[in-house]
Amino acid sequence: MIPILCLVQEGQIAPSIGEDLRSSLDQIAQDHLGSTAGINWVEVEAGSGFTEAKPSTSSLVSIQSDRMLSQDERISIMQKICDSWIEKTECSINEIVASVNDPAAREG
Amino acid sequence: MPLYLCNARNGSIPPEAKAKIAKDITDIHCAKTGAPPTFVHAFFFEEAPQPQLGDSTVQLHGNIRAGRTDEQKAEIVQEMRESVARHSGIDLSEIAMTTADVPASWVMEGGDLLPEPGEEEAWLAAHAAKLAAEAAG
Repeated sequence: MIPILCLVQEGQIAPSIGEDLRSSLDQIAQDHLGSTAGINWVEVEAGSGFTEAKPSTSSLVSIQSDRMLSQDERISIMQKICDSWIEKTECSINEIVASVNDPAAREG
Repeated sequence: MPLYLCNARNGSIPPEAKAKIAKDITDIHCAKTGAPPTFVHAFFFEEAPQPQLGDSTVQLHGNIRAGRTDEQKAEIVQEMRESVARHSGIDLSEIAMTTADVPASWVMEGGDLLPEPGEEEAWLAAHAAKLAAEAAG
């Protein structure tokens, strides 16, 4: 199981689109990391998310890999996350942040 | 990135204080690191599983790009804790904060890998030029 944390702004992503996004993330995890995704989908309450000190419209997706990745693999995964978000939510490229962390970065 | 998460006991940070704290978080991070404000995210939660509250009333956690000095991080921690205390009325001793370093190459923002610390200006210029070129078709 690949842990994936998604931080999205409340009310910004319709439930059906959220479902699509989670399916995409699961597919990305299976294709690139060989395991299903364990997705923690967290909505930031209205009035509680800020980017550049203004109300945020950003989504942040963080994948915790279970093995060390080459940079090419990492970039490919992050690109697919961004593409999926743009395609399904019609957000701008500046509204999606993706990160893929190696096991060494796991926090205690 | 950076991503600052602020987890607090229910009702301990008034809604009107969040924007003020977020402004301070942004200003402090940019002043201490030279990063552009466009990169700074500050999200607030109440009684969330992470970052763990432990015995604290407020727990801040910052995921920041690797390469900052210990001195920079210590100043960020101190000044952000003071901001939360000032705007919420919570005693400074009840506000905890941690940071974690994340390599810039592990994060994609705006469709590009984040720049290494100190390379932000060139990154922003290149990013703006790329978006303009895409918009022009």
